Amino acid sequence: MRFRGALEERVIQVEGLEMTYGTTRVLQGVDLHVGRGEVVVLLGPNGAGKSTTIEILEGFRMRSGGRVDVLGSDPAQAGEAWRARIGVVLQSWRDHSRWKVRSLLEQFGAYYAPYSVPGQPRPYPADELLERVGLTSHAHERVGSLSGGQRRRLDVAIGLVGRPELLFLDEPTAGFDPAARREFHEMVHDLSDVEDVSILLTTHDLSEAEKLADRILILDGGRIVADGSADELARRVAGVTEVLWRQDGQRHVHSAEADGTEFVRSLLATHPDVTELEVRRQTLEDTYLAMVARASDAAPLDPAAELAADPAAHHADSEALR
Amino acid sequence: MSTVPAPTSPTSPPAPSAAPRGVRTRAARAGVRRGLTEFDRSLHTAGDIGYYVVGAVAFAAVLWANRNGVQEDFGVATGVFLLPGVLAMIVVFTAAYGLATGVATEREDGTLLRAKSMPNGMTGYVVGWITRVTCEVGFVAALMMLAATAFTDGVWRSPSVLPLVLLLLVLGLVASVPLGFVVGSVFKNPRSVGGWGSLVMFALIAVSGLFAPAAALPGYLQVVGQVFPMYWLGHGLRSVLLPESAGAAELGGEFVLGAAVGVLALWALLGLLLAPVLLRRMARRESGSAVSARRDKALQRV
Repeated sequence: MRFRGALEERVIQVEGLEMTYGTTRVLQGVDLHVGRGEVVVLLGPNGAGKSTTIEILEGFRMRSGGRVDVLGSDPAQAGEAWRARIGVVLQSWRDHSRWKVRSLLEQFGAYYAPYSVPGQPRPYPADELLERVGLTSHAHERVGSLSGGQRRRLDVAIGLVGRPELLFLDEPTAGFDPAARREFHEMVHDLSDVEDVSILLTTHDLSEAEKLADRILILDGGRIVADGSADELARRVAGVTEVLWRQDGQRHVHSAEADGTEFVRSLLATHPDVTELEVRRQTLEDTYLAMVARASDAAPLDPAAELAADPAAHHADSEALR
Repeated sequence: MSTVPAPTSPTSPPAPSAAPRGVRTRAARAGVRRGLTEFDRSLHTAGDIGYYVVGAVAFAAVLWANRNGVQEDFGVATGVFLLPGVLAMIVVFTAAYGLATGVATEREDGTLLRAKSMPNGMTGYVVGWITRVTCEVGFVAALMMLAATAFTDGVWRSPSVLPLVLLLLVLGLVASVPLGFVVGSVFKNPRSVGGWGSLVMFALIAVSGLFAPAAALPGYLQVVGQVFPMYWLGHGLRSVLLPESAGAAELGGEFVLGAAVGVLALWALLGLLLAPVLLRRMARRESGSAVSARRDKALQRV
């Protein structure tokens, strides 16, 4: 895990972000930051306020309160020069279905040309970009004739056409097949490692979050309930390792502390008839579900303190399963 | 997705603090290219071609059926008599109604939001639409004029007909475009534009005397008609295409081309000032969730 960006320049800095629709408080004091070149994944159940947060950061939505700084400006007041430095890939686009793939990229690229600066030539050449997202052979096809996954890759290409310093990706791999997903993950790594693009993305795919994220934020009930790497988050939820085995024809499961080695050693020493031994580290999914469940149960006033205090193990020791 | 060597330096360049010079001009140029591409794509879409061709063929058929007809009152061929109304209709339907429907559709499918996500994208979007409707009006009007020339005598009464018709078409276009943006931004989706919007359009056409003389309307409707640009576009085109004696059927009893040009120019100016404000307001409300909410609603209705 890399921790780049933690101490470096921050491209996004949010303090006490509030959003209220009528009497509903959608965001209740969100604090978050993203460092330059960092990949931050925003997780959370539907309705947690992920889209609202991202839309405020993108400058598409006015906030009710709090301080927001994106690339040195307040998105609510930032101008076109600021807009030229960010890339946006929203959840679903159906626009421009009559256009041909390549001419659409060229059309959008043209708006970025005046903002080209040394070291950051804009726009990204259309052919290189098509190559990069694997759409070269579709360059002269109608956008409307692309498959769901291809369309999504075109959306990502359009998000990159201005060679952004900061990229917002809202569920970018929805509808991708496994191969396309892996290629996309490689591209995200390249963007962040080689080109120093900062990325804030949302996803429902927790293994994707684990693969991509330098840091994971969990948003629930309008607050950030967790902030850290996948490992750090896992360590904060008790019952990190599950040990499963079969004995006398029965399945057993044990939730061990952070490291299950000691338990396994003594188990094997005292029970020579153990078979089908399996040791499972807690997945991000387990961590996520535990954290979200807890946050919604308790509606804590101080999420950090709440996380530290609650033991919430999944299983009692040596609980027998069918 | 193969990897391309990254040409950027790891350190980020300083942000351009002020807008570089000529940014708006370049966005406007991109908008013109956008409009031309949209028109080109439209010519590659069966439904759109059908729309153009059916209109032109229908008018040609009417002209052919009336090829020997003469409008006795004014002493002009029936085809010539119909032409001003047809041309005015094309302008109003394309630049106001067509534009309104287009903008409402593009709000729903995310095109407008996409424009908003690009630097100066809204400038390009507006210029793109103006370019597109100009191409469409030019194309369809040319088809109609060709049909009229082929089947009717007396269309080109004098050398000034062509430049004056062009001038009036352009003015009428610029005066109608803002109406299109207004209607497209007021109604929430293309279906209500199709319903309420077309009702409004037909009402406007009715009070504008494009096909029946406005003099036959009640007085207060005459006043309403004269407020809007369609009446003056029709009046201007009649004054150019019909003989002077036909002016007797006009509201004032004569043709006043100067007044027509003046009112159209006033509307055009008003629109050019108003449209960007309206579109900014409309764009401000756009966000990803607004677009997907509208899409969900549209899907539910189907």
